[in-house]
Amino acid sequence: MTDDRSGTVGTPAGTGVEDADRAYLARVRAEIDEEVRRRRASGDLPAQLESELDALFLQHAPLGSTRQELHEVLRLVDAAAFIDPVVPVESSRPGGAVVKKSIRSMNFWYLRFITHQVSQFTTAVSRSLHILDHQLAGLTAKVEAVEVPPSVVVDVARAHRADAWWVPTVEAELDGCRRRVLHAACGDGWLVAVLTARGVDGYGVDPRGGRVAAQELGDMDLREESVLDHLRAVEAGALGGVVLSGLMEGSGHGERRHLLESAVAALAPGGVLVVHSLTPSGWDAADAPVEADLVQTRPYRPATWTQLLGDLGFEATASPGPDGRDYLVVGRRLSPPPETR
Amino acid sequence: MTPKVAFVTPRYGPEVMGGAETAARQLAEHLTAGCGWTVEVFSTCAVDHITWDDVLDPGDSVLNGVTVHRFRSASGRVPEFYDLDGRLRPAPAQATMTDARRWIECNGPVTLDLVEALRAADADVVAFYPYLYYPTVIGMEAVAVPRVLHPAAHDEPALYLPVFGPTFAGADAICYHTAAERRLVQRVHPVAQVPQIVLGLGVGPVVEGGRAGADILGIGNRPYVVSVGRVDEHKGSAMLARYFRLYKERHPGPLALALVGPVAAPIAPDEDVIVTGVVSEPDKWDLVRDALVAVSPSALESFSLVVLEAWEQSVPVIVNATCDPTREHCERSGGGLWFGSFREFEVVLERLCSDGALRARLGSRGHDYVASYYQWPSLIARYARFLTAVCERGPSRVCASA
Repeated sequence: MTDDRSGTVGTPAGTGVEDADRAYLARVRAEIDEEVRRRRASGDLPAQLESELDALFLQHAPLGSTRQELHEVLRLVDAAAFIDPVVPVESSRPGGAVVKKSIRSMNFWYLRFITHQVSQFTTAVSRSLHILDHQLAGLTAKVEAVEVPPSVVVDVARAHRADAWWVPTVEAELDGCRRRVLHAACGDGWLVAVLTARGVDGYGVDPRGGRVAAQELGDMDLREESVLDHLRAVEAGALGGVVLSGLMEGSGHGERRHLLESAVAALAPGGVLVVHSLTPSGWDAADAPVEADLVQTRPYRPATWTQLLGDLGFEATASPGPDGRDYLVVGRRLSPPPETR
Repeated sequence: MTPKVAFVTPRYGPEVMGGAETAARQLAEHLTAGCGWTVEVFSTCAVDHITWDDVLDPGDSVLNGVTVHRFRSASGRVPEFYDLDGRLRPAPAQATMTDARRWIECNGPVTLDLVEALRAADADVVAFYPYLYYPTVIGMEAVAVPRVLHPAAHDEPALYLPVFGPTFAGADAICYHTAAERRLVQRVHPVAQVPQIVLGLGVGPVVEGGRAGADILGIGNRPYVVSVGRVDEHKGSAMLARYFRLYKERHPGPLALALVGPVAAPIAPDEDVIVTGVVSEPDKWDLVRDALVAVSPSALESFSLVVLEAWEQSVPVIVNATCDPTREHCERSGGGLWFGSFREFEVVLERLCSDGALRARLGSRGHDYVASYYQWPSLIARYARFLTAVCERGPSRVCASA
């Protein structure tokens, strides 16, 4: 149930890369990468030629491509850092080369003076960027050593289903909602289907690989993407409701705050924010999902949510589940919101 | 009763070379033929997307069951465009709205008559394809019925111009080619809440001519890799030719490269690099079928039908690592590999050419992927259901209260 925030695309059930193929292809890619590293280290291509070939590739690479690494782009910077004062003199016209050569000779002292300074500047910039790249690599290694486990979506089969105790409350709260309603993490779209049947324009997002893909040929608007990225790409005040289930328990405190702030920003005045969560005692119970052991955070208590939402301009109520293992918080955004405490 | 659909696209017709325009025509024709819908198209008389010269006759005609309304352009791309584009390109997001709107007008085609006709049309839903041109930007403002935007967006400076903010925000629904395109658009414009579908395009039907690919190329029985599409520097063709020639220097042998498609930027052919120009559909399918590998070197694709056409014939592909949509196809399907430098190109090509089992496995995965997602009958039925839902939802995406 890892919450894959990398933006990779999941595998459609039964049609995409099966496990055996996935492992095989990963091995092939690793072998290719290793061979590329080996050949690069061998220096069997002249450095100048390799720079030209890299420049050729990068010439039409998209701006800000997420696929490029800084050190790769730096190879292009290095290749372009030296400004050549020796202007080409070839010409297709008779005598043209002689004329050009004469002009070049007359201007050479001047061009060399200018290009020398520009080359010094570009070399200094390139050197700075290499130092930055080196320091970033060091920093990345240190961060990875103390990395917080990634946020996960918590799957609770008894609570994440159409006949769960809290679903009728959500239906009632969103009944008649005229704007779109987001459910995250939506799984196979079970709540979106419930809402759609009630005439609510629901759609869903789930970051888990393959969960949505299994349904993507259907007619529901379900998407596999990071919930936080999605909420940040929603027009401010565009949604009538946001239902978050299985998301908050496994999120770190920082991400939890960002999720909440982004959800609030996406809601229109009068919009409804719903949070379904396990209780702290449900999180500690023997039958708690394994994610409880895999992340470093704990679910908030219901009262924490009502206070947080109140601070954000919501009228919020919390309802405990029948066995005390989970709860539901429903907040309605007031307009205008009260002043922050 | 099925909805009546209007497509708005700046160029339309079999003589038009362009991914987005071809996609619009395919969707329009399959909606008509496969679903029995009434479809009309609003377009210009242009064939060339640089000059936008009026080449085709204005007026109404029927093409493969689709009614086409063609209008003359008041202006095409004007000389001022290049200065303006050069000025805005380094920081497009910081352009003023005035400059950005001027960019739209200078890029052409300015189609006032088309927009007026669209305003008077009786369509139930209007699909705009692609986001980049005047007919979409201005046409969307003129339409009262639900608007479906097919962005066909690349990661290009124009996408960041502020003039396109209202275009994306004004769509009642968005139809993407790939999830990668959706991520790109949502990174630039806040439209994640807009109803959407990741659809793509169908493949085929395969029209084989029964000739051996090597015979068509005139290379005897030499093995070859193929790259189908416009031969253009921006499409990575020059890079591919350069990389392939160096590959051959370092790995002498019979392998050849076939560049198949209209030539926009001439590439000097030699015994290893064959430039065919435009070939017939049967020849194209034959050439792809018999290739060891198909290469898509372009970094700027929003879908890449040629990749799927290779997989339809179980031919593995190599794609540009920085092109999110084609790489996404490869990652999802397991039908191809990618390169981000000459070094990677060399190793990937060498591995694929020498490992028949790998080629077969990749080709098979690609074929399954196309069979699952990109067959016209199921794809167009899904699109029809999407359009029906858009019509039912109505044009008012945002209502007065929640």
